[in-house]
Amino acid sequence: MTDQAPKTSLGETLAERLPRRYRAELRFRAAGLGAVISAVAILLVLILSIVSEGLPAFTVHQLVLPVSLERELVDQEGDGTEASLRRGRYSAVLQNAMREEFPEVSGRRELRALFGLYTPLNSTRLMDEVLADPALVGSTHVFRMPIADELDLYLKGRLVQDRILPTTGTLGMSEQGGVVLASSSTNAFADLAEEMRRSIELEADRLLLRAESSRRAMDVAGEDERDRLASDAARAQRQAEALLDAARAETGWIELEGELPSILVDADGHTMKLSALSVDGRQVRGAYLLGSGNVEVAQNWSLYVVDTPETRRRVSDQVIAWTRALEDRGRIQRGFNHYLFANADSREPELAGVRGALFGSILTMIITMFLSVPIGVFTALYLEEYAPKNRFTDMIEVNINNLAAVPSIVFGLLGLAVFINAFGLPRSTPIVGGLVLSLMTLPTVIISTRAALKAVPPSIRQAALAVGASKTQTVFHHVLPLAAPGILTGSIIGLAQALGETAPLLMIGMVAFIADAPSLGLEGFSQPATVMPVQIFLWSDAAERAFEARTAAAILVLLALMIGFNALAIYLRRRFERRW
Amino acid sequence: MSVISFIALILLVLVAAGFYYGRSRAIRLADGDTALLHSLPNYHGYYAGIWAGLPAFLLIAAFAMFSGPIVDRLTAIELHTQAVGLNARYEQRISSDPDYRELEQAVILLRSRVDTINAELDSARRSDRENAEQLVVLRQRAVELLNQSTRAEEDLRLYAQQVAVQVSEAGRAEGVGLVALAGFELEQTPRERRQLFLSDARRLAQGELASRDTPELRAAGAVISAYQANFRNVVAVAALLLGFAGLARAHMRVNVQFRARNSVERLITTVLFISSGLAVLTTVGIVASLLFESLRFFGEVPLHEFLFGLQWSPQIAIREEQIGQTGVFGAVPLFAGTALITLIAMLVAVPIGLFSAIYLSEYAGSRFRLSAKPVLEILAGIPTVVYGYFALLTVGPALRAMFGAIGIEDVDLKSALSAGLVMGVMIIPFISSLSDDVINAVPQSLRDGSYAMGATKSETISKVIMPAALPGIIGAVLLAVSRAIGETMIVVMAAGQGANLTANPLESVTTITVQIVTLLTGDQNFDSAKTLSAFALGLVLFVLTLIMNMIALRVVQRYREKYD
Amino acid sequence: MIEASPQQAAPLPGAQGPIKVAARGIDVFYGDNHALRNVSIDVPDRSVMAFIGPSGCGKSTFLRCLNRMNDTIEEARVSGSLCIDGREVYDKSVDPVVLRARVGMVFQKPNPFPKSIYDNVAYGPRIHGLARTREELDAMVEESLNKAGLWGEVKDRLLEPGTSLSGGQQQRLVIARAIAVQPEVILMDEPCSALDPIATARIEELIDELRENYCIIIVTHSMQQAARVSQKTAFFHLGSLVEVGPTEEIFTNPRDPRTQDYITGRYG
Repeated sequence: MTDQAPKTSLGETLAERLPRRYRAELRFRAAGLGAVISAVAILLVLILSIVSEGLPAFTVHQLVLPVSLERELVDQEGDGTEASLRRGRYSAVLQNAMREEFPEVSGRRELRALFGLYTPLNSTRLMDEVLADPALVGSTHVFRMPIADELDLYLKGRLVQDRILPTTGTLGMSEQGGVVLASSSTNAFADLAEEMRRSIELEADRLLLRAESSRRAMDVAGEDERDRLASDAARAQRQAEALLDAARAETGWIELEGELPSILVDADGHTMKLSALSVDGRQVRGAYLLGSGNVEVAQNWSLYVVDTPETRRRVSDQVIAWTRALEDRGRIQRGFNHYLFANADSREPELAGVRGALFGSILTMIITMFLSVPIGVFTALYLEEYAPKNRFTDMIEVNINNLAAVPSIVFGLLGLAVFINAFGLPRSTPIVGGLVLSLMTLPTVIISTRAALKAVPPSIRQAALAVGASKTQTVFHHVLPLAAPGILTGSIIGLAQALGETAPLLMIGMVAFIADAPSLGLEGFSQPATVMPVQIFLWSDAAERAFEARTAAAILVLLALMIGFNALAIYLRRRFERRW
Repeated sequence: MSVISFIALILLVLVAAGFYYGRSRAIRLADGDTALLHSLPNYHGYYAGIWAGLPAFLLIAAFAMFSGPIVDRLTAIELHTQAVGLNARYEQRISSDPDYRELEQAVILLRSRVDTINAELDSARRSDRENAEQLVVLRQRAVELLNQSTRAEEDLRLYAQQVAVQVSEAGRAEGVGLVALAGFELEQTPRERRQLFLSDARRLAQGELASRDTPELRAAGAVISAYQANFRNVVAVAALLLGFAGLARAHMRVNVQFRARNSVERLITTVLFISSGLAVLTTVGIVASLLFESLRFFGEVPLHEFLFGLQWSPQIAIREEQIGQTGVFGAVPLFAGTALITLIAMLVAVPIGLFSAIYLSEYAGSRFRLSAKPVLEILAGIPTVVYGYFALLTVGPALRAMFGAIGIEDVDLKSALSAGLVMGVMIIPFISSLSDDVINAVPQSLRDGSYAMGATKSETISKVIMPAALPGIIGAVLLAVSRAIGETMIVVMAAGQGANLTANPLESVTTITVQIVTLLTGDQNFDSAKTLSAFALGLVLFVLTLIMNMIALRVVQRYREKYD
Repeated sequence: MIEASPQQAAPLPGAQGPIKVAARGIDVFYGDNHALRNVSIDVPDRSVMAFIGPSGCGKSTFLRCLNRMNDTIEEARVSGSLCIDGREVYDKSVDPVVLRARVGMVFQKPNPFPKSIYDNVAYGPRIHGLARTREELDAMVEESLNKAGLWGEVKDRLLEPGTSLSGGQQQRLVIARAIAVQPEVILMDEPCSALDPIATARIEELIDELRENYCIIIVTHSMQQAARVSQKTAFFHLGSLVEVGPTEEIFTNPRDPRTQDYITGRYG
């Protein structure tokens, strides 16, 4: 192409295509950046969601009650011996303390609800405190216990939707035959009455809709279905009409029926729950949850609305009233949740802790470390420094590479079949867990150790051999010390992996509910235990809502441990890293 | 234990003594001129110490590992011999009891009838598909017969049990020893519960809490602890003798010419070699245990039914098609569920991981790379149980809300989609770091060649680097797939349990790993197909991942060799 | 294609014929390393110029300035004025993609892409969109291979991978790939250092043929090669341009004692 014509055409085609090519370039680059950013964003979302879920679990609301440890209840033999103190009726002591707070409560059901503010397991804790200090017998002791899990959630604002409304004027209350009538000096309830009327109408509309759809379904339904649908429709219709009657309030009262928010009025130490509001917003009717009798003129009174209807939550209005009263009296304090660290697992979320799992993890990790690190390092030394190049060592190499990619659950199956069934080692124990995790960690340790050994330059070996050191002396005096930092880092990373491993441990029964922490001694290795990740798995499956936050909190503890491990690895790498 | 720890302590002293003895003897033999020695005095010391300690410690280790089963076995034999009289009496009572014979006859008869009707049912189903009515009748009769037969067996068992109680009561009245009674009880216990009997006895003997507490158990416990004590003493004496014998051997071997260093080094090499054999042993152990239990499983459930059956319900006692005692073990729904979740995970992980790797290795400045890489490493270090909880806590509800917003209401909280998405996130760092290695292995000269032609970066990447790196990337993706297939916790927590055969990612599905966990947590009975099926699933999982890893590792290795 | 207005620098003394590349005061830094110092040179069109000098003297660095390959190195920095056809190469308005289409480059080690022979040659035309039809592309590939003297050897195996060729063939393939985008300047960075003498001779022949149509700059370690293929030679030493002149003159009658020492083999 010696003439000029093709050159200009080349220039033109090039220029013509350039914008398109640069747009493609930009798109490609944006896709890459997008990928990185989305990975970062996912990590952030993950961490944020777990932190926000888990942080509240690090605090807990405690009931701080003065309990009188009467000698008749606590020390029945009267001799102050441990045997006698162990037989004490501590639950009665706690119950008395609660009754003291709310003397007006009577009736079995009410009392049972009242004692439901804490779990009965706390009586054992009270006993332990008395056993630790028998001098407490006969005195009044300030006892702290975690409040029931649901109430803890309520107090943290995570159980129900609620609000406090502004009030005006004064309020008088009078009780007659269990019915309380309260009148405000202004029309303080007017807004609330309007709101309730609208809610009732909405509810009625919903019911009417349901009736309508039932009727429509009747046209296409079979014979036997039709009857049921008809009665459904009729019932919904009836309910809707009843609701609308109440809302239209021809009687001057709006009756609070159906799934409506609970409205509580606090005045002068009394709490009443409303069952009806007058249309003019001056009067309300209801019943006392706390207190009794009349209140002449209360200057300071408040309106508390729980928007979640009582039927849709697990704490009743009565329990909420007690809880708020205890809070007002300073009997409830929010503090650090030491139960989370001081206790092992428990069926009661407020008493459940990670101590047992933490100990189990430590014991399991000790076994894993003492088995996988030496054996892994030995294997790597053999393969890297001693092994002749033959088919057997080739096989070992391929084997190790494949072992590194075998799913962890398969190691669990191996542990179950070999360690438990064939060797008869005890199930659920750190020793079996440690053995399984060692086998799983072994390839990681071997591979990283080999990399560290490879990184030691051959000149070091030649220098040692040249002064007459034997092969073993060369390896142990020169190569191994130089490779030690790399080996250490690799081992720590392998152990951190094992620390977070769950699946194989499920196979060997470390998934049981274990209420006692294993002891941190030699015998602890053969006691039933669980480990942190399994504890997380167990809690994540639990029915109580309070376990949700505790699961996230346990995750935070586990992550903190793993960050510690990895930080150690990074520190060691920085501290001892050599570049050849 | 205390005897053993005492012996261990003595052995430690022996080791130390051996070291100093070997060392000083070598020096003395050389008249203080250590240069005369072939090996340094310390090596003679090591040699003596090793011989004093190692054999004895190996013996103790073997004792610690195997003493339990051996003692159990010995105890069982002892109990059996003691109970011979009672057993004979029981056999005699049974064989001469007309009621028992009658019951036995009934059972045999019913069983044969069940077999006949099953055969009939089979042939009817195979030969005549049209006659559905007859099939239904037959099936009903079969179920009826089976129930009758089971009931009869139960009756027989109860009757035998009654007789056994009478025999043992009579024996007790006659003053037969508790050990014999214990042996008789053990004999009467079903095979799979005998281990429990023995472990209860052991616990009682050690003063621990057992599931039951009877005089017979305590007697058996006494037998166990007697055997234990004897065994322990024998081992202790043997260990001591071994220690001294080792010392004596060292005493004879140590002299000026003795190549102590070579011996010690040979031992070290042997230890290293044995260590590396352990990795092979692990694989052998995996294969053997999986194969052994799987073969037992395939003895009960045919292989083709397991691999190609469309229904999985190991819990239900009677399956619809065939009459039998086991559930249905068609694993296709599990394979499908695994495939579905893996597919979703790959759809997330491959693009994000690959593009991240490309961006970080080809576009990003060194500072950006230094801050973005740790993020990926953190993602790789998060335990899978945390990912599972994330799926449960955040992703599941978020998906339900999202699909609810566009009008799809029936989204399960635990769905294939949520498990797959989260698993994809878990695999992102895996893919990105492997791809990063692969991309960096592409020689710079190819990039230069492309840039010198006037190619833009994206053209260079997609037309030159990617084709060159493709084998390596395929290897990486294969490794990632094998990892996704074997991943357990995320699917256990987020994919649900229902063995649905569905391609709808919004439903809950189950996977191989989930079923292994479900089958093996809680009570295990190694005689039931239900428990054994977990091992068959494990075998499938192992073989599947092994094949993928082999291919992937080979591909990656070939690729590395090409550009090294 | 380069928008900057032509700005012809005053030719250096001793220049003859049309000038293709004109460099004035080029300095290159790699981080803190001052790799090239104040280089000024004129390269004539349709001829071969050889850069010689000991390893690390900056000749390759200078070569990589001409098609801005130094841009791909993160910490490289170039200053001075470098014009091709009177247009400033380092002007902001110059697109390296367009520049590199005009200035082809051949590397030390043959680096065919892991694609077929055909795809290797078609790579440039494809990315730049030079061929509108399949037939046009076929023609371009054939012509380029022909020019590189490879057509006869590979015309029956165009779909085999480029890496299956011998070293010398690979290098000619790479040259064919470079000329497929119809460049005006071809840079060659020690193109024969990885080849045996016979392959080297083929490449040298090829360079001689290509001289008719292109401005060729070749970096070489072999003084014989420089003497054989080039019309002008430049000698670099320690990052500086020591001497430039007609090849015969440099080899028979160098002006600088350092050049003298180098060509007589006292160092290098």
